Amino acid sequence: MTTAMITTKELEKLAELARIKLSEDDKKSLIQEFDSILGYIDQLKKVEVSMDAEGRVGAVKNIARPDAVVSTSKSDREGLLNESPDRVDDFVAVKKIL
Amino acid sequence: MNINLTELTVKTAHDHLMNGDFTAVELTQAYLDEIAKRNGELNAYLEVFSDALESAKKADERIGAYRAGKADHEASNMLLGIPVAVKDNILIKGKVASAASKMLENYHATYDATVISKLEKAGAVFLGRTNMDEFAMGGSTENSAYGPTRNPYDTTRVAGGSSGGSAAVVAANMALVALGSDTGGSIRQPASFCGVVGLKPTYGRVSRYGVMAMGSSLDQIGPFGKTVGDCEEVMKVIGGQDIKDGTTITDETYVTVPLLGKSKPTIGVPRHFLGGDGISKEVMDTFNASVAKLEKAGYEVKEIKLPNISYSLLVYYIVMPAEVSANMARFDGMRFGLHRDGKNGIEDYFESRRAGLGREVIRRILLGTYVLSSGYYDAYYNRANAVRQMITQDFLEAFKSVDIIMTPTAPSPAFRIGEKVSDPMAMYLEDIFTVTANLTGLPAISIPANRETQRGLDGQGGDTGPGNNIDRENASLPIGVQITARHGDEKTLYDVGKELLGE
Repeated sequence: MTTAMITTKELEKLAELARIKLSEDDKKSLIQEFDSILGYIDQLKKVEVSMDAEGRVGAVKNIARPDAVVSTSKSDREGLLNESPDRVDDFVAVKKIL
Repeated sequence: MNINLTELTVKTAHDHLMNGDFTAVELTQAYLDEIAKRNGELNAYLEVFSDALESAKKADERIGAYRAGKADHEASNMLLGIPVAVKDNILIKGKVASAASKMLENYHATYDATVISKLEKAGAVFLGRTNMDEFAMGGSTENSAYGPTRNPYDTTRVAGGSSGGSAAVVAANMALVALGSDTGGSIRQPASFCGVVGLKPTYGRVSRYGVMAMGSSLDQIGPFGKTVGDCEEVMKVIGGQDIKDGTTITDETYVTVPLLGKSKPTIGVPRHFLGGDGISKEVMDTFNASVAKLEKAGYEVKEIKLPNISYSLLVYYIVMPAEVSANMARFDGMRFGLHRDGKNGIEDYFESRRAGLGREVIRRILLGTYVLSSGYYDAYYNRANAVRQMITQDFLEAFKSVDIIMTPTAPSPAFRIGEKVSDPMAMYLEDIFTVTANLTGLPAISIPANRETQRGLDGQGGDTGPGNNIDRENASLPIGVQITARHGDEKTLYDVGKELLGE
């Protein structure tokens, strides 16, 4: 039996990082799917490549917007707050963090 | 005047509207009638907007002002009163935008995407939001949380993806033009499968503000139309620099390069990449016929080498999931979208995301998390980016000897619903010709290449479409050819596309 490209433990770690709950069935099918996908992308290791980070094609520069406060209208704010699953007055309500 | 939806183009519809041959309301109603007939079976629209006729009325007011001599400027508004379909990942204020996901089933957009504001200003009428693969992840629209979209030419087959709904509505006369998004081929491949024109513009040509991000360095919004001219008209409205999207370009960003060809663009074909047995014979025959057609019309055709092109799918399926995993982090059930309760605050995330996100989305988020995780970042993500640069270099090098590069759009015509959905890798291989335009940022268009022998629309007694008299069993499914041009050179794509279609 060939070794899987990814172990269940590794997959669980990924799911934890991605904040997604996986059932046992989910894990089983994902391990199999990852096998074929990772098997494919693993070929990248064979490609001869110059890792020169300066070799960026074309001029790429950061565009920043002005560091200025843009106010939101009351109706827009209402629209945004109405989308939240739970709200208290003008606040988005969430469970206690700490 | 009797409205023939099969024959309409943006230009002819515009002329009719401005001449008073029919009204915008009548035009919109004609499409709504067609939608009522066909959408149940095709599942191309997830929602038909109840205020479409109201928008059409507003357009009629503007047309009325023009016809009364009070608004001459409207003559150049080609999209005034034109019915447009919008992919479900583009925000229209006040309307649901669900990206075909359960996560956003009841999410109402709180602002307009820039492309929407622009189209609205031009007087376009939004008919509805179209079905797609969930969060634009897929090549068939089978990953939609609301069922697949059926191909209007054969309803047992897929419409392509991820913008399957948008391609299908244009093909089936349920909208005159439509908007889609393209991250790895999601406009061009469904265009090919549905026999319509689909354009992915140069990266930065169209603002992504208000469009749900999938892979931010890859995504572009683009038009679907029955003709190249229709796509061109949509692009005139939706393109342009936008202060709200820092990646947008101006007309000056890319210098126009004079054509290398004497009077027509020189065509490059990377033959070395087209010999695989994964490519259907019908696709290759259609492709070769298109190239021959252009050669006969005076185009010089050269064989070119793109040495690293065989790595493009590989690079795409590392870079894209990485960007996806970052972009999908916002769907946490806290500020918007589906919320499921966990035992505590952090458990809420785990439950909400599992409940709201589909299999393919979860697959790609985890893949992205993997390639970005410590210990793998260098081997996968950094490496893939370096190869991405190499591939871009290959294209820039090729553009020193040719003006455009042609390949088939997809390795096969539309496959059957269910055929590939259980094998992710088989589905990913469909993107083999389209991902390069996203990796390099180059503009690329899919042009229907077999309209003469293509079958008629399904379920209508074969009384529409040029291939009606041809034996249905043997009549071809639509197949597209892809043309890629230099950065910023959409014009050459339009010129060659129009020549291929006899526009």
